[in-house]
Amino acid sequence: MKKKVLAVLLSVTMTAAMLAGCGSKTASNETGADASKETAEESSGGTGTAGTTEMEVEGDDVTTLNVWTFIELHQQFYTDMAEKWNAENPDKKVKLVLSNMQYDDMHNKLSLALESGEGAPDIVDIELGKFPAFITGTIGLRDLSDVIAPYKDNVVQSRLDIYSKDGKVYGLPTHVGATVAFYNTEQLEAADVNYEDIKTWDDFKEAGVKYYEATGKYFAAVETSAQWMVNLMLAQKGGDYIDESGNLAVNSDAMVDVLTYIKEMQDTGAFATVPGGQPDNDEAYGVYNSGDYAVQIMPFWQTSRFVNYMTDLDGKVAIAPTPVWDTTDGEYASIGGGGTGTAIVASGPNADLAAEVMAYIKLSETANEQVWNVLGFDPVNTSVWSDTALTENPDNQYVKFFKNPPFDALNQIKDNIGSLGALNDERWPSINNEFCNVTLNNIYENGMDVKEALDESQANLENEFQ
Amino acid sequence: MKPALKGKQKNRLAAISMIVLFTVLALLILLPIYAIFLASFKPGGQLVQYGLNLDLDFSQMSFDNYILLFAGRHEYWTWFFNSIILTVITVILTLIVSSFVGYGFAAYDFKGRNALFICVLIVLSIPLEVVMLPLYKQISNWGLMDNYMAIVLPFMAHASTIFFFRQYLLGIPKELMEAGRIDGSTEYGIFFRLIIPIMKPAFAAMAILNGMTAWNNYLWPLLVIRSADKYTLTLGLNTLINPYGDNYNLLIVGCFFSIVPIFILFICFQKYFIEGMTAGAVKG
Amino acid sequence: MKKFFYSQKIAPYVFILPFAVTFLLFWIGPIANGALLSFQDVLKDQWVGFKNYQRLLTDKIFLKAVWNSLKYMFGTLVLLIPFPMLFASLLNSKLMKKPGFFKSIYFLPALTSVVVAGTIFRLMFGELESSLANRVISLFGLAPVKWLKGAGTGYFALLVLACWRWTGVNILYFLAGLQSIPKELYESAAIDGAGKWKLFTKISFPLVKPTTVYVLTISIYAGLSMFLESYMLWRGNNSPNNIGLTIVGYLYRQGIEKRAMGYACAVGLVLLAVVMIINLIQLKVTGTFDKEAK
Repeated sequence: MKKKVLAVLLSVTMTAAMLAGCGSKTASNETGADASKETAEESSGGTGTAGTTEMEVEGDDVTTLNVWTFIELHQQFYTDMAEKWNAENPDKKVKLVLSNMQYDDMHNKLSLALESGEGAPDIVDIELGKFPAFITGTIGLRDLSDVIAPYKDNVVQSRLDIYSKDGKVYGLPTHVGATVAFYNTEQLEAADVNYEDIKTWDDFKEAGVKYYEATGKYFAAVETSAQWMVNLMLAQKGGDYIDESGNLAVNSDAMVDVLTYIKEMQDTGAFATVPGGQPDNDEAYGVYNSGDYAVQIMPFWQTSRFVNYMTDLDGKVAIAPTPVWDTTDGEYASIGGGGTGTAIVASGPNADLAAEVMAYIKLSETANEQVWNVLGFDPVNTSVWSDTALTENPDNQYVKFFKNPPFDALNQIKDNIGSLGALNDERWPSINNEFCNVTLNNIYENGMDVKEALDESQANLENEFQ
Repeated sequence: MKPALKGKQKNRLAAISMIVLFTVLALLILLPIYAIFLASFKPGGQLVQYGLNLDLDFSQMSFDNYILLFAGRHEYWTWFFNSIILTVITVILTLIVSSFVGYGFAAYDFKGRNALFICVLIVLSIPLEVVMLPLYKQISNWGLMDNYMAIVLPFMAHASTIFFFRQYLLGIPKELMEAGRIDGSTEYGIFFRLIIPIMKPAFAAMAILNGMTAWNNYLWPLLVIRSADKYTLTLGLNTLINPYGDNYNLLIVGCFFSIVPIFILFICFQKYFIEGMTAGAVKG
Repeated sequence: MKKFFYSQKIAPYVFILPFAVTFLLFWIGPIANGALLSFQDVLKDQWVGFKNYQRLLTDKIFLKAVWNSLKYMFGTLVLLIPFPMLFASLLNSKLMKKPGFFKSIYFLPALTSVVVAGTIFRLMFGELESSLANRVISLFGLAPVKWLKGAGTGYFALLVLACWRWTGVNILYFLAGLQSIPKELYESAAIDGAGKWKLFTKISFPLVKPTTVYVLTISIYAGLSMFLESYMLWRGNNSPNNIGLTIVGYLYRQGIEKRAMGYACAVGLVLLAVVMIINLIQLKVTGTFDKEAK
């Protein structure tokens, strides 16, 4: 008897589940479509959306383009810009279908898809640190030189170079990502530190120690899972991860100097590691928001993280050029940090159209204005930088948030923004990985000697590249 | 009289200390679930800023996350129903195919049986990850990428399930089969009409174990599923774990809610589950 | 033809067929294919002989991954066999009231996916002062710990996660084994005056041995092939100093992330060999072989 009851139960629930499953499949598809309609129409406040977003486009002759991205904010930006494209080019209308994925998963899926020649999207956002892996061996991405040509004159060349190989450009940059300093002025003033007096790294050290002694709070973060500050300081010293003859040289004197400087700062107590290992991390936003650290040396796009995730700092943060080692030797005032190169899959059936549309979406003047207005980034088209109607627009949420006009710092360093050669080397992803996981942790979490840690990483990497 | 009383007291003491021990253990086990239950009422930003803890601050707590879950615009329910469909299909096919094979091993004496059974035992102890990459290539060559078939097909004849059914069926009397043959049933008729009905506790046990695995499956679907509209719950939830988006509100409530269906399934079948596990218990 | 299909001689093979096909297509095929690939550089489409294997031997990160996996497996064996066995025999005792209630609670964690459980534990073991794990140790007057940054504490977090998820399942396996032991055995031994401990060591423990061997086998398997737990706890395949990197993690890193398919297949075959060797030793030691051979 008991068993009969069970049998009935089992089959009933299974059929029910099956029916419910199938029924709701269609239902959920419909709601899915509705939901994305909403998303596409509503153009602001995009938190909480995940997964797929589909544009609604009127008309019959519309080309559907699949886009993969790991940055949710880009979805909104792309659909807004695609609508502008459609309005200007009624004969070449496109409909973007955007999938948002987890950072690692998206890059892994892309590499699998390119390898098997199946299941790749038309358009994909590839993060700078992963980019070199996709321009090695047989390249599955389309050369974009032709579609970039019309915009080329206004674009910062070094941001195209990082996505290039053998004279061909494979990625469209979003921003310059010039590294600047973000100072929490309210807290610094309480310790009688004036950020405008900080010109060199020595000044920086002095101010840090003074601030720490006055408040007992940390001045800046020691990075263990990123190298925003490390790369800047290294480039300013004229160093790199790879030497002139192309050999791996992560234990160079310049690198030792940089890491030793940071180590000394850590020893004074003024610098400390931060939860999440770097300022651009959700665990770190919290500690910055509550004022545990006063300064961030970050690429300019950190503005968007301030506005979205560190809301308590509204009106307190000033943006300034970063310190340099020596004010007289003409070293770089900044370097471009981070970035996402939008690439077109060469084998896609609509690759040419996709390339043309994306060049418009990312490089046209309208696009560059939107990059600042919507995303809060420093656009690659530097003519936008001096358009004060935009950069000092009192209604702009980024202008409102920061204490001084954000572009003041940028315009000071404009002509002296450098880069590291290693960034578009095929060995970069591994070097980056080693630094973020091993080297910096060894030094700043486990107290290993700087030179020793660098020698060890040099050996690890040499072993990997053999 | 006295020693007996003493014995009774001793038993009572033992019973009480056991209850205490198991209650403490139960509380420890429930702790993380309680923590995430609490967190499902807190704003995601707070969670990021303070970590997961048991703080109760009612002024900060609200049903907002649940409103987001049920009325917000996101793909959670697509993932959820994809997972349900995939789990149900996997469980039904695995149970039918594996019991079929298990019966073959238990009921017949045939040439090559032991060799084949050793193959079952070998597969049982090989991690899928060993074959994952070549299997991926193969699936890709067959054009099964981004297809649920790729998730179901390779594991229908599931080694540990076959093993379990075989153990369970070793105990069935051969007379049952003989009686079936005399009644004119075919060999397959015997299995479908006579054997399946007596296997229900075993089915319940395996439905739960396979259901769990299918519902929680991650790595293999991650490799073979491409389109976001085919994502299962685990794949979907993982897209929310993203430093570039503020998704903790949905992530936490979504995580908590994902436990619910499989828990209901378990509660419904748990009695038969233990019964089935016992009957199929490993007997040397 | 139909008669042939229905004959009693052929029927067993029909029954076995699904497994045989699966075995050939989805196990033997890929393993053979993987073996071939492991002698190639797949990106360059070249045969490289034993180069991938030679590289493995000197690859410190791979050796670290192997060590991490072995350490994890060992830890789970020590924690997830004796304790569940003990708990199961206590739960099985007549004195225990409402064992079913406890059983369902203990089983609950196994129902949560690793994706969900890993996320919960990552947040619990956050390095912030106010995270649950740091709150707990502060009760004992200890300072906050960066759990997921140190090798020891990271290992501890992995083991806590494993115990949380699997204690209940193993209790059920052992309970099932214990309940198939005839009650009369205990009764007659009790009449002979055997104490509780003696009943456990002389009856429960030896008679539940097949279950123990089974649980041991699947624990070795699960321990050595662990990946997702670490992947979720460290939010990706990278952990500080690779403290969370396992063999499968390394296979994933090489094969998927770095597209070194041939090298990754070599890693896979090494994993296969390690699992096989450990299981053979285990089956030999526990004497299961002799029984199977009969």
